[in-house]
Amino acid sequence: MLLVLASIAIITVDYRGEAHGVISGAKRGAHDAFAPIQRGVDDLARPVGSFLSGAVHGGDLETQNAKLRREIGTLQRQALMSQAARNSLRALERLDQLPWVGSIPTVTAQVTALSPSDFAASIQLDKGSKSGVAVGMPVVGGAGLVGQVIEVWSSGCTVRLVTDVDSSVGVRFGAAGNLALVQGSGLGRSLAVNLIAPGTPLHKGEVLTTSGLQYAQYPADIPVASITSFSSTPSATQETVSARPLADLAILQYVDVLQWQSTP
Amino acid sequence: MTRVAPTPRVGRTLTTTDVARSTIVIAVVLVIQHTILDSVRVGGAHPDLMLLLPIAAGYAAGPDRGAVFGFITGLVADLFLPTPYGLSALVGCLLGYSTGLATRGLVRSSWWLPSVVAAAATAAGLGAYAILGAVLGDPAMLRTYLVPALVVGTPSAALLAVPILRFVTWAVPEPGPSRGVAGGGGLR
Repeated sequence: MLLVLASIAIITVDYRGEAHGVISGAKRGAHDAFAPIQRGVDDLARPVGSFLSGAVHGGDLETQNAKLRREIGTLQRQALMSQAARNSLRALERLDQLPWVGSIPTVTAQVTALSPSDFAASIQLDKGSKSGVAVGMPVVGGAGLVGQVIEVWSSGCTVRLVTDVDSSVGVRFGAAGNLALVQGSGLGRSLAVNLIAPGTPLHKGEVLTTSGLQYAQYPADIPVASITSFSSTPSATQETVSARPLADLAILQYVDVLQWQSTP
Repeated sequence: MTRVAPTPRVGRTLTTTDVARSTIVIAVVLVIQHTILDSVRVGGAHPDLMLLLPIAAGYAAGPDRGAVFGFITGLVADLFLPTPYGLSALVGCLLGYSTGLATRGLVRSSWWLPSVVAAAATAAGLGAYAILGAVLGDPAMLRTYLVPALVVGTPSAALLAVPILRFVTWAVPEPGPSRGVAGGGGLR
């Protein structure tokens, strides 16, 4: 009973923001302490795998065929590693050529982890406050908006993806510059596009870009999503529109954090 | 060399060794969760070992120690989650306590019992987590995220129950002979 009351007290304190600094500080400290362990385990896993593989093939009874197979395997692995390096390079090159970033300074970061919670769509990056990343900064991938930084520690940050249900992005589309609101529906699901008046001309594949209105959370003209379907009923107050994020959130490797924050 | 007989663990209070072992268990499971299992993602959800810890503690050591272990595990887990701080601690202590209470009188001779208990308790824990999250102002936790979490979390809990239970049993001693039948079975 005491523990339940203690838990409720902690939740209440966090919810009301009274100890937000303490809890945020504890979270930042935990992330900073955990980051080297995470990197170490990642680094360890690969050599251990290679060692086990070498042990299996390194016995006295290994035949010449096995040696040849290993050499072929090494060459194939080198080829795959070269391919992986080329893919990484291409991903970084794509980030360097984002036309809509304009003059906004960026921090290129690597995705280190997918969402630690089943109840939120987020990713973690390897750049944090030490690199100039701050809460609220937009994050973009090769093809469009990825999300927004919601938590930062010295060596990393958490990004809420545009597909998270708590994500809302003001967008503009069409020649007339119609405005709408893109809202997440969960990881891997279509985005819901709300606040489009019935009768508004829509086209499949039409690109929605950030509106950049005053007090907007994102700078203008970042591609967010493309319309995949739309429908309307006679009594509806708005069109029912679905869209697909332009950034492929399932295979993110490198992203750019835009050092831009909305004006209060 | 003279071998010293280990101190019987049944019926005694928590020692420094137990606390140290519990710390090791929580740290190891945390590292496994965030370096390996977070990447094992199906339909947006992944197995959750941190939720399995209080269940195993409640099953192995009874409701009171299950609740304490669940509370501490939850506080640690919450440091790495974007959800409200304290939510995992609340669910963890409720889960540890209720699992200990529900399994106290069970005869533990079946090899499959830990898996069934883990699956049922994980489903209950995820449900409680989503409901409490919705009450705290995030209805999507119940409406959107709960089903994938249940679909992935429940069978994975059943699969991982036995190794986690053995690991937790190493760290969390039974509270005493009062547990009777529940304390003795073939699980360990």
